[in-house]
Order: sequence, then C-alpha cells, then structure tokens
Amino acid sequence: MENKIEISDLKVFYGDVQALNGISLNVYPNEILGIIGPAQSGKTTLLKVINRTLEFNQDISVEGTVKLDGEDINSISDVYGLRRRIGMVLPLPVGLPLSIYDNVAFAPRTAGLRNKAEIDEIVERCLQQAALWDEVKDRLDSLGTKLSGGQQQRLTIARALSHQPEVLCLDEFSIAVDPITTMRIEDVLKTLKNDMTILLVTNLVQQAKRLANRTAFMLNGDLIEIDETDVIFSDNPTQQSTYDYVNGNFG
Amino acid sequence: MNRSDPIFHIIALIILVLVFFLIWNFTNLIPDAKGGNTADRAVQDTLSIIYGHLYKMIPICCVVILLSLAVAFFLEEWLPHKSLQYRIIERIIAILASIPSLIYGLLGIYLLVVPADKVSYYQLTIIVSLLVMPYTIQSTQKAIQGVDISVREAVYALGANRWKVITGHVFPHAFPMISGGILTAISRVLATAALIIVVCDWKIPESNSTSSFGFSSSVVVLLLSALSLSVLSSLVAKNVNHINLNGIV
Ligand SMILES: Nc1ncnc2c1ncn2[C@@H]1O[C@H](COP(=O)(O)OP(=O)(O)O)[C@@H](O)[C@H]1O
Ligand SMILES: [Mg+2]
Repeated sequence: MENKIEISDLKVFYGDVQALNGISLNVYPNEILGIIGPAQSGKTTLLKVINRTLEFNQDISVEGTVKLDGEDINSISDVYGLRRRIGMVLPLPVGLPLSIYDNVAFAPRTAGLRNKAEIDEIVERCLQQAALWDEVKDRLDSLGTKLSGGQQQRLTIARALSHQPEVLCLDEFSIAVDPITTMRIEDVLKTLKNDMTILLVTNLVQQAKRLANRTAFMLNGDLIEIDETDVIFSDNPTQQSTYDYVNGNFG
Repeated sequence: MNRSDPIFHIIALIILVLVFFLIWNFTNLIPDAKGGNTADRAVQDTLSIIYGHLYKMIPICCVVILLSLAVAFFLEEWLPHKSLQYRIIERIIAILASIPSLIYGLLGIYLLVVPADKVSYYQLTIIVSLLVMPYTIQSTQKAIQGVDISVREAVYALGANRWKVITGHVFPHAFPMISGGILTAISRVLATAALIIVVCDWKIPESNSTSSFGFSSSVVVLLLSALSLSVLSSLVAKNVNHINLNGIV
C-alpha cells in the first residue's frame, strides 16, 4: 500500500520560533488520522504545510519534505492545483463575504466549472454532507457571514468538500458546533473516508477515539507517538505522556 | 479607541466648523493686509496660470493614484518582504510620505511660481506625484497588510490564483482604507494648491483682477474641499470596522 502523504524530518520556523522540530510520519490512503495534542503543539502548522498556505506568513521557513502521492509538494509547479487536491477546514471560520451558495460554488467555479446544474448539485451535496442544507436551503442567496458561528463552521466544511479533495484536513472543526451536529458530521466523515484521506486535528480526544484509524500525539512541536487508535487509547501506549494526555491528567 | 463612537463624529464636526471660521476670517483679512498698487503682472499671470492649471491636476491625480495602487500591490503581493528591493523601496516611500505637505508646497512655489512664465504638465506632475504617491502607496500598503491573513489562506486553500485573491478578496477588504488614503492624498493636493495661491496672491496687490474667480473664494473652496475630503476619509476608514465585522468572523 502506497502512502498518501509522506512527511519526513519536517521543521518549521516562524522567525526564531520553532513550531515543528523535525516530524516524520506517513498517512495511509483512505484512513482517518487523528492528530491530538495540547494547544501550541504545532498541529495547525502541520496542516498548513500540506496545502502550502503557510507561506503567506512573513519570515516563515520550512525544512524537510512533504510528499503527496510520492511527489514533493514543493516541486509541484501548479501550486493552485495542489491546493485544490486538499480540503482545509480551519478552526475560526473565515466567511468570505459571499452568499452561502457562492461560498460553496467558489472552488468549483475557480476550477473552471460553468454548468449551473452541476454547480447546483455540488452545492446541495456539500451542504448536505456538512449537515447544513436543511437550515439554509431556503436562503442560499443570503450572506454566509450572516450565519451563526456553528453554521459558518459547517459552511467552511461544505466549502472544503466542494472541490472533491483527495485529502481533507479538519482543524478542530467542532469547537463552535453543538454536540448533535458534531455527531452528524462525524457520521459523514466515516463515509467520506471511502473517497478521501482525512487528517482530523481535534481538541476532543474522544473524537479521535471515535473516528480515527490511527492517532498521532503531538507535543511542543514534536511527534511523540503515532499508532493504531486502539493502542494510543489503551492502558499501555509506548509513551507515558501519551497516556497522561489521553487520560486527561496532563500538565 | 472605538472610532465608530458618535462622540467622534461630533468632535470631527466641531473641528470642521471651527476651522471653517478660521479660514473664513483668514481669507477676509488678506485683502486688507495688502497695501499699495504696484501691479506685478508676472505674479498675476502666474496666479491665473495656476487657476488655469488646476483642472490639469485631475487627470494627473488619476494617473498618479492608479500608479500608486499598482506600486503598493506590487510591493505587498509580489516582492518578498525580506528582499533588498522591498526594504529599500519601502524605506524611501516611508521617508517621502512622512515629509509634511507644507514642504512640498514650498517646492511647488519654487517650481511653479518663481519661473512664472512656464508652468508645464511636467512640473505639475512632479509636485502632484510627490504629494500623492508616497502617501497613497504607504496607506495602501498598510491597508493590504491589514487584511487578515486568514482571508488569504482561506481563498488560496480553495485553489484560487493570486490574481483572483487580490482582485476578489484582498482589494475589497482593503478598499475602505485604500479609499480613505486616496481621499487624504487628494485633500493634501488641494490644501497645497490653496497654499500656493495664498503665497502668490500675497505678492499681488489687486486680488480681484487675477481671475474672474476671486482669490478668497477659490482658496476657501480649495481648503473646504480639502477639509471635507479629510473628514470624509476618516468616515470611510471608520467603515473598515463594519466591513470586517461582516467579512471575517
Ligand atoms: N503566525 C504565527 N507567527 C508566529 N508563531 C506562530 C504562528 N502560528 C503559530 N505559531 C507558533 O507555532 C507553534 C505551533 O502553533 P500551532 O501550529 O498553531 O499549534 P496548535 O495548532 O497545535 O495549537 C506555537 O508555538 C505558536 O506560538
Ligand atoms: Mg491549532
């Protein structure tokens, strides 16, 4: 089985601050890889390396390699095409000042899709998958930014799915979403993994336990441990700090 | 400080009214202050030339402003901030922008009034560029830098190219601040034009003969437009908050 993503010795510096201290890990195709760890451990940075949006920070420097389907992402000449292969859901929803419909139609249109019927279908499917369709189907033309925080978060999920990514990165998507809706989205993720590889950064360790095939534990820019989720959540993971974090007696 | 506070509108209004009266009194005083009637044709001609050239500033301003926007976007979106070119250009612009418009006004008097016989597009362009460009470039740069990085990340993450991100998202987000900067820059031009006219006129005994459009009225019109533009620009910039509230959550 070929790895979907291969990360080796990845180091990231924000100016003088080192955010990742040489991380190596592989992501298998069609798995859900849970990534857990306390705040500031570099989880978000890791995701932003993968779709190359980290480079908009001034003073950033990235060392090491990240390969997508065996190809170094830095040697891919069409960086816009690369980003379309990756869906990104960031924790603070960025509502583009567009209508709900246009938010979801943005990426397909950017990729060159013009057929209204096809775009309609994508918008409906993605909003369904993000568990938002029923709430907004009657007001697709109103501003996305007028939605509640939790609804906006789901809108960004729909947006990330709209370009049918090969890899879906979710960064603490459930912070602003109520538990019942979170469960609905989790069910969708379970079926989505047949079509794509999912990197699930989560602040809820139980969410990783429920969803992830494998789980990685990060701490202060280091990858402490990556293993089958059952092992990470068992009574004897390899590292003591993993056990402590997972069982909530950390710090 | 929350600029949308109504108290700031009121303060702005009070200042506007006060300054209006100051200017009004000032311009009424000037004709009295002048004595004698040694007609100085050359200066008089200069004045009419300047009046005659005011309208020329409109296309010059437009071109110069567009150029400034292009430079600012080039600096912020294309040049890496670490590069030597960026650092040098940015420094020069910051220095030029920090020079008070009064200094440029004096330069203007030197260029336009002293060689009274030939006021060319060329000289006007130099002064208008110096007055407008550094200031507009700098305020546009700040506006672009003020666009939250998350907007950029979100739009790029959807596969948009640089052109689409700039025209579709960075520019609209930065627009209120950019237009605020442009308005202030134009108001600087108008105020400086008023200054040049005042200085010219002081050398002329009979102000009314200089043009059908009297001295005081033109100065008042210029200064008032300058003032209203400044106030307008602060109101426009104030809207930044609202737009950001709607745009980014
Ligand atoms: N834009 C930034 N500028 C400077 N330092 C940053 C920036 N973003 C993150 N960092 C630093 O990088 C480290 C990892 O942060 P992050 O990837 O956000 O961690 P996590 O998502 O696990 O909370 C932290 O020490 C943080 O302070
Ligand atoms: Mg984070």
